[in-house]
Amino acid sequence: MERIKSINVRWAFMLILIFFAISNAWSAPENEPNTGFAWKDGEEIYTKICAYCHEVQVGPQIRNRELPAAYIREIVRNGNRAMPAFRYAEIDDESLAKLSEFISQTQSKH
Amino acid sequence: MTSKYIALPKGVSEKNFDAAISDFRRVLGDASVLTSAEQLAPYIKTMMPVPDADHTPSAALLATTVEQIQKIVAICNQYKVPIWMISTGKNLGYGSAAPAERGQVVLDLKRMNRILEVDKDLAFALVEPGVTYQQLYDYIKEHKLGLWLSMPAPSAIAGPVGNTLDRGVGYTPYGEHFLFACGMEVVLANGEVLRTGMGSMPNSNTWQVFKWGYGPYLDGIFTQSNYGIVTKFGFWLMPEPPAFKPFVIQYQHEEDIVEIVETIRPLRISGVIPNAVVIAHALYEAPVKANRSDYVSGPGSIPDEAVYRIMKDHKLGIWNVYAALYGTQEQIDVNWKIVKQAFGKSGKAKILTEQEAAEDPAFIYRAKLMRGEMTLTEFSLYNWRKGGGSMWFAPVSQARGSETLKQMALTKQILAKYGLDYSGEFIVGMRDMHHIVDVLYDKTDPEQTKAAYQCFDELLTEFSARGYGTYRVNTAFMDKVADTYGPVQRNIHKTLKKALDPNGILAPGKSGIR
Ligand SMILES: Cc1cc2nc3c(=O)[nH]c(=O)nc-3n(C[C@H](O)[C@H](O)[C@H](O)COP(=O)(O)OP(=O)(O)OC[C@H]3O[C@@H](n4cnc5c(N)ncnc54)[C@H](O)[C@@H]3O)c2cc1C
Repeated sequence: MERIKSINVRWAFMLILIFFAISNAWSAPENEPNTGFAWKDGEEIYTKICAYCHEVQVGPQIRNRELPAAYIREIVRNGNRAMPAFRYAEIDDESLAKLSEFISQTQSKH
Repeated sequence: MTSKYIALPKGVSEKNFDAAISDFRRVLGDASVLTSAEQLAPYIKTMMPVPDADHTPSAALLATTVEQIQKIVAICNQYKVPIWMISTGKNLGYGSAAPAERGQVVLDLKRMNRILEVDKDLAFALVEPGVTYQQLYDYIKEHKLGLWLSMPAPSAIAGPVGNTLDRGVGYTPYGEHFLFACGMEVVLANGEVLRTGMGSMPNSNTWQVFKWGYGPYLDGIFTQSNYGIVTKFGFWLMPEPPAFKPFVIQYQHEEDIVEIVETIRPLRISGVIPNAVVIAHALYEAPVKANRSDYVSGPGSIPDEAVYRIMKDHKLGIWNVYAALYGTQEQIDVNWKIVKQAFGKSGKAKILTEQEAAEDPAFIYRAKLMRGEMTLTEFSLYNWRKGGGSMWFAPVSQARGSETLKQMALTKQILAKYGLDYSGEFIVGMRDMHHIVDVLYDKTDPEQTKAAYQCFDELLTEFSARGYGTYRVNTAFMDKVADTYGPVQRNIHKTLKKALDPNGILAPGKSGIR
């Protein structure tokens, strides 16, 4: 009986610990590396940003036109008329290179 | 002597700025302190009719932790360097990611983007500033949480923290976003970290469920303000309803806005129609379907006769009322009867549902907005005048038909004086409406740019003279709008600023507060 009680107490204690770990998600140490969002590949960026305008006739079609990477980079970073500019903080250089590659590919269809 | 910076903060010498920059680099690392023209280019583009030079930043800092931000404010206090905070930085038509004043350092929190908690049962989220609606949308789908977002029209690329801090709106029943905010974490100018409401109490688990805490409610002073840097933000999400019925009601005459508003108000206040209804003018919806140049050429605003032709060709009303019902099918059936009866009385309304309008591109994107789906289709507005110029004119109106007609007529008349079109809509709160007009102009045309500036200035002057205040404005006109609310409010804002940020390092100029 005593044994069962002490196991229960231990379990309860564990559960409380787990509960606190979950409910206090925000109290994670501030210095831990940011495990936030990162783009998977060029296609993901295209689908989740570009396509919302460029696949629905709001912006011009940009796929399958063999647009040079330097040109794409220029437009993404500076914007173009109503097209907003996208910052390094939103699309890092490496992801932008992948995006350019994806846009320039002629074979695949979105 | 040429500077190594593209701009400098007001009153800060290059030598002192050098010292501040090297301290920022020590905290963040070289790659997260941007100073070159190329790196800063995306922070300079705005849609406003003022020179980019007026809003050019001196640097941008990419912080990812609260501790880094605390160190940044210490450096700013030491060198009196002002920072301009952005979360996702897509405040398009209100100043974009550019600072209010030339030379301010942008504190870009886009990369501080963890989704800290989404509680399925209590239907709330706690996120960092850089989280986009798309990111949260994907997370909710991936984890099958059955919750809906309410977001502004630039959904995918904007985010809940920046949008709500600027008191933005969406289109679901949770459309008045700040009403559904619950708990913030704020880094103050002195480096202290405040958790508002229940978050102030150690180990409280009610931070995201009870808004008010104890004592004066503080969250409001961190919206449209420069009293702190918000680093965590809680808000409520809507449980996915079992059924959803979007609809559009079209009217043919501008004066019909009186009948529309008088019909909607009781339905909205009583909750029969629960969402932020939009009453969109034909010219707000036309760009999704039509080209302006097919109907009119040369300077001047578009004549009414051309608008009527567009309506006819593209099956638009002069007013297009987008709303939706949410709930079980039984609830929707009952409420649909009430809606049909109310709008059916005069015989002027044409009521369309998904059955009739499923293929209509305007209906499709509006329906998406009303159920929190990602879309950027509203950017078609900019194909109307082309050239990328836009300012949101956003006066508040009573939800009273006669008032709406007055505001619409006055706006249209002032826009026409400057050769601009009335691309307007009313977003219905309960007792109020946000009258939202996109002042569209061609920013590549210097004459139109000048006209747009003068037009906007006159709109603010004429509206405030009649007691109509604007709810939000772009960074070029913040002082003017602050003045329209009178000296007592300005003085209180200033007193708070002095108390909370004596060195004036946080976003000087935001809402006219320095
Ligand atoms: C076609 C189109 C349609 C639009 N439709 C809507 C709409 O339906 N509803 C609407 O509300 N807006 C709309 N907008 C305007 C704007 O794009 C959105 O409001 C957008 O959500 C704001 O950008 P953001 O979310 O990236 O916020 P940010 O740009 O990150 O922030 C906005 C402002 O909040 C303050 N701020 C941001 N982060 C912090 C912080 N951490 N601490 C302190 N202060 C901070 C700053 O003053 C900043 O300028 C529209 C724009 C366009 C182009």
